[in-house]
Amino acid sequence: MENTVIKFENVSKVFSFQNQKTFKEFLPALIKGEKTTNGFTALDKLNFEIKKGEVVGIIGPNGSGKSTILKLIAGVMWPNSGKVHVHGKVSPLIELGAGMHPELTGRENIYLNGAILGLKRKEIEKNLEAIIDFSEIREFIDQPVKHYSSGMYMRLAFSIAIHVHPEILLVDEILAVGDSDFQAKCFKKMEDYKKDNNITIVFVSHNMLQIESFCKRVIYLNHHQVVSDNIPKISINKYKIDNLKTIK
Amino acid sequence: MLPLFKEIKDVIKWHELLWQMVGREVKTRYKQSILGYFWVILNPLAQMIVMSFAFSIILRIPTNAAGNIPYSIFLFVALLPWNLFSNSLSSATASLVGSSSLITKVYFPRTILVLSTILAKIVDFLFASIILIIYMIIYQVPININILWIIPIFIIQQIFTIGLSLFFAAANLLYRDIQYLLTLILLLWMYITPVIYPADLVPEKYRIVFQLNPMAVIVNAYRQTILGGGAPNYSSLLIACLLSIFVLLLGLSYFKSREKIFADNI
Repeated sequence: MENTVIKFENVSKVFSFQNQKTFKEFLPALIKGEKTTNGFTALDKLNFEIKKGEVVGIIGPNGSGKSTILKLIAGVMWPNSGKVHVHGKVSPLIELGAGMHPELTGRENIYLNGAILGLKRKEIEKNLEAIIDFSEIREFIDQPVKHYSSGMYMRLAFSIAIHVHPEILLVDEILAVGDSDFQAKCFKKMEDYKKDNNITIVFVSHNMLQIESFCKRVIYLNHHQVVSDNIPKISINKYKIDNLKTIK
Repeated sequence: MLPLFKEIKDVIKWHELLWQMVGREVKTRYKQSILGYFWVILNPLAQMIVMSFAFSIILRIPTNAAGNIPYSIFLFVALLPWNLFSNSLSSATASLVGSSSLITKVYFPRTILVLSTILAKIVDFLFASIILIIYMIIYQVPININILWIIPIFIIQQIFTIGLSLFFAAANLLYRDIQYLLTLILLLWMYITPVIYPADLVPEKYRIVFQLNPMAVIVNAYRQTILGGGAPNYSSLLIACLLSIFVLLLGLSYFKSREKIFADNI
């Protein structure tokens, strides 16, 4: 148990939507006793455990609940039933740049984003040079980020996130963006993290090549449940077979 | 009380983020404007001039204050804290919705978003207060030791503001009607608070409404201690204080009960 950093116990997540968009529609429906909300099940009684130092990929078709799992681990969402146990500092690499403010300079954004990711000022100062170096945008670091190109923006955001020294790293599709050189550099950094047995990585991607080469274990989700939880080859194969069926 | 202490502990743990967020608010507000932060002073100043003209020259509202205090100072002493309250509440109400990208991605205590907005408004308030101080020096408004009362009065005001803000911010995330409703509430609220008129103009039978309106008590107390040089009405202030704490506990408990579905509904 002490080695388990993430544990999902019978976790279900249902999103509810309002059926009636306007008050004019809502009120009659309420009086007539019609259903006012519609549930959409994202996860249905999910069970799995991830141990310290594991590198786990999560695959599945769109809407199968991959990102929801990451959000539950990150603690931004709560399950409707069941329990999510997470031990350790979680650092999300989900859609970078959420905390960036366009009017602030690159340097100011490093401090702001660092704080959002839970870093102390001293830790940010210690890593400031490394972050700027990694981003390769030193000459623009004191410019407002609104003048950055989208590539520069992404580089800065990733550099901050990767220097958080996480215990649990959540990666969601982010490596699909950016030029190939920088992508390679990011992967190299992630490889370093992989070697560290204290860091657990949960990786979501549609890129099967990335998943297969990077992860040691792959969870394949479909119809809101775990279909396969195995070594990459087996899970990816099952995914591909299911995929072919749906195409036919 | 317990959830309040837990929340305070959480916010202290994340204090670096709180200050960064306040800094972000203050630094970015007037970027790309020529007058920049000077707007923080210019706005209430213009407001005061126009209102003074309307209410003292056209409507001739008496200030009921001893001595020769001009209406503009009389108004400004109340207008500044009222503006602080009103601006804090409306910005804080929009604060969660405005940070939707953060709420769906990163974990940190959500109360920080509300608190940082209010703190940034306090910074504005302190700058705007400079005019009041200059004004009071020019008109040689006498002050005495009772002016120190503004510190506890200010704290009570903030407790009340935070409590209401937590409630409105969480409610607005779920139902966006709240922000429009709030604009209406604040407009009406200002008229049942003695901002533009002195509290003693209110007929005796309506006084109870004022007693139960913490903002009325607070605004009146500022005036009594800064301009009148007297102590505030202790029993009214105590009621306002207890009410504010009650509102804070209620606001926080609503906020915490909704917090789990913020990311689902934003």
